[in-house]
Amino acid sequence: MTLTRREVLLAGGGLAVLCAAPALAAGEIVIEMKGSARGEQVWFAPLGLAVAAGTRVRFVNRDPGNSHTATCYHPSILDRPRRIPRAATPWDSGFLMPDDSFAVVPAVPGVYDFYCQPHEMAGMVGRLVVGRPGDPGWEEPDYPPGDLPEVALAAFPAVAEILRQPVLKGGTP
Amino acid sequence: MQRLSILCATLALAATASLAQDNAPPPAPYAAVSSLVELPDFLPGLGQLYVDPATLPAGPFLGYDHDGKLSATVYMVPLAELEGGKAFNDLAVGNPSVTGVDIYYNAGHPGVEAPHAHVVLYHDAEAKGRLAQ
Repeated sequence: MTLTRREVLLAGGGLAVLCAAPALAAGEIVIEMKGSARGEQVWFAPLGLAVAAGTRVRFVNRDPGNSHTATCYHPSILDRPRRIPRAATPWDSGFLMPDDSFAVVPAVPGVYDFYCQPHEMAGMVGRLVVGRPGDPGWEEPDYPPGDLPEVALAAFPAVAEILRQPVLKGGTP
Repeated sequence: MQRLSILCATLALAATASLAQDNAPPPAPYAAVSSLVELPDFLPGLGQLYVDPATLPAGPFLGYDHDGKLSATVYMVPLAELEGGKAFNDLAVGNPSVTGVDIYYNAGHPGVEAPHAHVVLYHDAEAKGRLAQ
């Protein structure tokens, strides 16, 4: 493989980030909402993401045949269990049609679990880690067992795994 | 899954009542699916869908191509309901001419959230291609 100068510079920058790993994503980060051609599978890509507090996270529907939501787990939204930090502001994108997007800027350190309303039972969930354990205001997630459907619980990657690999793709193509 | 396929194929072949709504839009009580739930007007693989809301979730959904020609009749059959013993009998079909049938799994979407099977009856040999995109 031959790299152009620009690619070398970009690759070098990437390596620098990796060497200092696990650096948290910052600026604006995109989470895609995707689906297979006939809707057999639906997923968030990446499945897990670690970002610095104040990072803009944009959800984009890249599924031409379906609509999706990015909805955090919170009692104020459809009376679901809380799975974001207590001090955080809950968010719900509403239904996003193909190529629509929605952005959120989580500021409170901690773990934010979210799902797609029509596809939670298909395991379409994701996990956002903001900051790191020990950051001022960090709240360790402590949820009762069985608070969500099994298919959702099984899909969440571990927080430690996301912190090791800040953009975690998950197992869906 | 094999039993499901056989069951769905039987279900499709058993559809006897023809609606003969060859051009979009079909009359009420049929309504565009995109006007009932948050979905695009044209769904790749299925076309522009119309359904009588009283027949949800199974349908029939009438699938029209970009020129408004009836190209497919689609049934959406929740797997859990089949497993629970529910049957979907005597479903109508958009047109009695059927040149092919596709049956496949769908994880769910607005309107039919539960995992289900799509049973797609194509009404002419080119219908599948016209509905693809």
